[in-house]
Amino acid sequence: MPATEQKDLKKAFWDGVRETLIIVPSYLPFAVVCGVAAVNAGLDFGAALALPGLVYGGSSQAVLAQLLQGAASLWVAILSGLVVNLRMAIYGAAMAQHVRHLSVPKRMLAAAFLVDNAFAFIQQRKEKFPAVGDDALLSYYAGITVVLWPAWIAFCALGAFAGNIIPSSWQLDFAIPLAFIATLSQAIRSWPLAAAAIAGAVASVALFALPLKLGMIAACLLGLLAGLIAERLLPPSQEAA
Amino acid sequence: MSAFESWLIVLGLGIGTFVIRYSFMGLFANRDMPTWLAHGLQLIVPAIFAAIVATGLFISAGQFDGLALWPRYAAAAVAFAVALKTQGNILATVGVGMLALHAFTALRDWL
Repeated sequence: MPATEQKDLKKAFWDGVRETLIIVPSYLPFAVVCGVAAVNAGLDFGAALALPGLVYGGSSQAVLAQLLQGAASLWVAILSGLVVNLRMAIYGAAMAQHVRHLSVPKRMLAAAFLVDNAFAFIQQRKEKFPAVGDDALLSYYAGITVVLWPAWIAFCALGAFAGNIIPSSWQLDFAIPLAFIATLSQAIRSWPLAAAAIAGAVASVALFALPLKLGMIAACLLGLLAGLIAERLLPPSQEAA
Repeated sequence: MSAFESWLIVLGLGIGTFVIRYSFMGLFANRDMPTWLAHGLQLIVPAIFAAIVATGLFISAGQFDGLALWPRYAAAAVAFAVALKTQGNILATVGVGMLALHAFTALRDWL
């Protein structure tokens, strides 16, 4: 590999490290809450510590803990967590073109650490440097991951260990909807997407008491339906995302 | 919950999530994703985020809370405005949202 290319990869890696270090403190409250919730939901302590490392998806960890606490069956809890993570399939699909030259084990490694934030950063990087090579992009992604993954595990562990010391008057659990308000604000880029969001929100609250706690799965399907209907009703010009 | 059940849950969600992450990468590494599938997945994303926000806002301790928690709704509205203004900056949204929550809570208790 030529020296200049080597240097580019290094720079991409450190860009990823640096840019992630800046935003990583904002995940602290969210992660602490996830750590507390996992322990309070009755998960075995070791399993609660392993959860963020193995699943690496805060929203699914939060939904899992919430359902276990609400005495849903294990299978509904797991299935709802998986439904929340379905969006990660999109991230994998969007990354597919950049891993074509890699072996299957390396592709799997690249898939294992895809989360909302890493994906958002990678998309921004592609917009900023349209000519970026696959290896430079993957180096950048590696730089993000070496900061974000260990930080997420450590922050969640902090919650698991110290969670019950934090006074409930701090209302730290509110950090979860807040973090998702930030993400949601960027996910609504057209009327059909807004319709899907509204249907998902209403359905999740209205159907919360659904038997077996199937509300999250129902919200996902009704959101999809509302989005498809909105696309039919609206003229194509307003559809542009 | 027993240790066995706990590990079953963690491994089930962990392995399942990995399969989700890898599925389309593996499947579409050498060809493009059908548009109907990409499209459907795109619509599901805001529905899921909004469902997480709504349950976090309106439901606590396993039941619907009604109007007593109005400081949460007001703080969420402030946070949403900040998120739109800052293009989804998490630090700003969470920071301002938490401050607003405590300000509104203090106001409620004072009223």
